[in-house]
Amino acid sequence: MSDTPSPNPPNRPWLTVHIEHRFHHGGAGFHLHLAFAARAQRTVVFGPSGSGKSSLLRAIAGLLKPELATIQLHGVIVCNTMHGSQPRIFLPAEKRRVGLVMQDPAVFPHLTAAGNVAFALRGTEPSAQKKKVARLLEVVEAETLAERWPRQLSGGQLQRVAIARTLAANPSILLLDEPFAALDAQSRQRISQNLHQWARQRGVPVLTVTHNLEEAFVAGDEVLTLEEGRIMAQGAPEHVLSQERERLLQVLGAVPPPGPVAIPRREK
Amino acid sequence: MDTVALLLTLRLALVTTGILMVLAVPLAYWLAFTGSRAKVFVQAVCALPIVLPPTVLGFYLLVALGPRTAFGRVLTHLLGHPLAFSFAGLVVGSVIYSLPFAVQPLAAGFAAVDRSMLDAAATLGSGRCDRMLRVVLPLSRGSLVTASVLSFAHTVGEFGVVLMIGGNLPGATRTLSIALYDQVQDFQYAQANRTALFLLGICLVALMLLYSRRPARNARSGDLV
Repeated sequence: MSDTPSPNPPNRPWLTVHIEHRFHHGGAGFHLHLAFAARAQRTVVFGPSGSGKSSLLRAIAGLLKPELATIQLHGVIVCNTMHGSQPRIFLPAEKRRVGLVMQDPAVFPHLTAAGNVAFALRGTEPSAQKKKVARLLEVVEAETLAERWPRQLSGGQLQRVAIARTLAANPSILLLDEPFAALDAQSRQRISQNLHQWARQRGVPVLTVTHNLEEAFVAGDEVLTLEEGRIMAQGAPEHVLSQERERLLQVLGAVPPPGPVAIPRREK
Repeated sequence: MDTVALLLTLRLALVTTGILMVLAVPLAYWLAFTGSRAKVFVQAVCALPIVLPPTVLGFYLLVALGPRTAFGRVLTHLLGHPLAFSFAGLVVGSVIYSLPFAVQPLAAGFAAVDRSMLDAAATLGSGRCDRMLRVVLPLSRGSLVTASVLSFAHTVGEFGVVLMIGGNLPGATRTLSIALYDQVQDFQYAQANRTALFLLGICLVALMLLYSRRPARNARSGDLV
């Protein structure tokens, strides 16, 4: 793996997705049917539970093979399963260099926190590996947890280790699926800032999916709203918010208040 | 007790278990994670020795490894002697006969590994073989122990296949279970009793070893299964 991600010229999408996939859960089916291009360094997909957010990320990461799809990362086709398309391409997850942090941290129980972070650093010189692990644990404020076993860690600590482990793999894009859900509000803000700073410094674009309205509008330069497997709106957070105000509030189960909606303060 | 037969039996069980671990791990990994239509067929073939009369398996192996087939002739030519009625022939028969006792616990253990662990490893750049070595095997150590102990104990107790393929050559193919049969045929009940008790003891100890291990805990809770 190279140390720098592929350069991405401005305005050229770092991710283009076109997916049509039908899930069969017993009798009820769910249809993921969407197409979009992500250009903003921090893109957020906002949608309620069950809207297809996690499946979207799994498809981008290569953990789900959609029935019909074209997915490009930094201009490179990693999946092409469209009818009649030649050649049909499905790059496996291990070759995509996509960092994925899921809500379930899936920290390896047979390795310490440091061992987990070092998982993707095999082949690195031991002292360099140790330094990198320590630096990444600092990013997630988990430097004191290095020698602990996963069974000794809380849910929030496990999530921090999972984030550091993902960064260690030197991904060319980052996909975050509610990765801060188990953290308290203060830690969430700090670690989110550290993580976005880490990504910005390396030119690594971030796609976050969330059902948290505030997180969507604070952590995104661009927001897409997803509902029942379809993209409903895409644009700057303020633009999407005003355009989708009533519908979003309906999704959240709230009554639209009279007058303008207060937009949460954006993180700079 | 027939110490020559005892040593031969232990050697056969150790060699068979070692070979089975090498063969059964990739086979069980494939069975645990494949979506192939051939899976059911391979599963059934692997489980056949459980239900097949050992003499049937022994008979076909005898034919396959003997001069009646091209494979047997090539093998005889390569080794300089027929595989049947030799220790190597016993090993081949034992590996096939004990295959399900290695494959099934391993496949069950591999399939029980949390898929999210494998997904996480894949997104960290870990390929299929690497995932097996660095995630699946460490999380299935209990299944590896079970498969080894069962393979060993089952090989120690073989009779039909060993008799068919190995004959009854003292020092070469006469294992303890065959020695026991001979002792009974010769009305040497005291000796037969000692041999039988020893075999009973080995199997009992092996099973106690299995059951005395810590109960499997959920891998996600941070402990090993």
